[in-house]
Amino acid sequence: MDWLEDELKQALGRKQPSPDFEARLIAAAAAAGRRSVLRFPVLAMPRWLAAAAAVLVITGAGAGYRHHQGEAAKEQVMLAMRITGQKLNRIQVQMKGVRQ
Amino acid sequence: MKLTRTLVLTWATACALCTILWAQQFQFNLDHLAAKASDSVDVSLNSGMLQFAGKFLDGKDPDEAQVKKLISRLEGIYIKSFEFKEEGVWSQADLDRVRNQLKAPEWSRIVGTRSAEDKETLEVHVRNQNGKVTGVAILATGPKEFTVANIVGAVDLDSLADLGGHFGLPSMEKGTEPQKKKK
Repeated sequence: MDWLEDELKQALGRKQPSPDFEARLIAAAAAAGRRSVLRFPVLAMPRWLAAAAAVLVITGAGAGYRHHQGEAAKEQVMLAMRITGQKLNRIQVQMKGVRQ
Repeated sequence: MKLTRTLVLTWATACALCTILWAQQFQFNLDHLAAKASDSVDVSLNSGMLQFAGKFLDGKDPDEAQVKKLISRLEGIYIKSFEFKEEGVWSQADLDRVRNQLKAPEWSRIVGTRSAEDKETLEVHVRNQNGKVTGVAILATGPKEFTVANIVGAVDLDSLADLGGHFGLPSMEKGTEPQKKKK
């Protein structure tokens, strides 16, 4: 059994990393970050710029929706007036016919 | 949890219905006719929507300028107009249900015409409060048509009548049908 214990002690024993391990780890992390920035350029933008763009898009969409609603309301008003005008016009025609 | 949600939804629906009925000066629930109509128009504009729409009306266009002036004093426009492919879809009871609400002293009928030839009936009722016009009701029916309109607010009857000469409708002549929303 002594040989097995020796093998295990050797395998599981604490080993010191190589002196350049820290430098290699930092370099690898930096390289990975650069790759993701290259793949998604928006990540390279400052956060305030992304937030400002989002605010602009939301404001624009809101204004567009409001304009659409206004145009729809205007169409409804014009349709209502067309119908009302047509009915009153018919009354005038009938009254004119009665007078004649 | 489910009961609470049902109660909240019921309450919200009731509130919405109350708002519509309160805004209209008389009730015209004609949903049963809407299901049978080939063409239908349903306009429901409260004061806020009218003022909002007014901002989009072009003051330089003669028609739109007149409408803009007219709606500035209105509190609501509610119209239901149906056209049917066949005769006899709507009944006299439908008309009476609406007409019976337009009673004195609040309402008075100022015009009522009936064409035996076209079997058309047209009526204009005016709502008066303290000597001021606060609303107009228009009922127009034909064999294949049923229209009810309620214009709420200080209605300028002269301007309304003047609309007869606008929107491509020749004044004092039979006009063309308005553009309808296809069902």
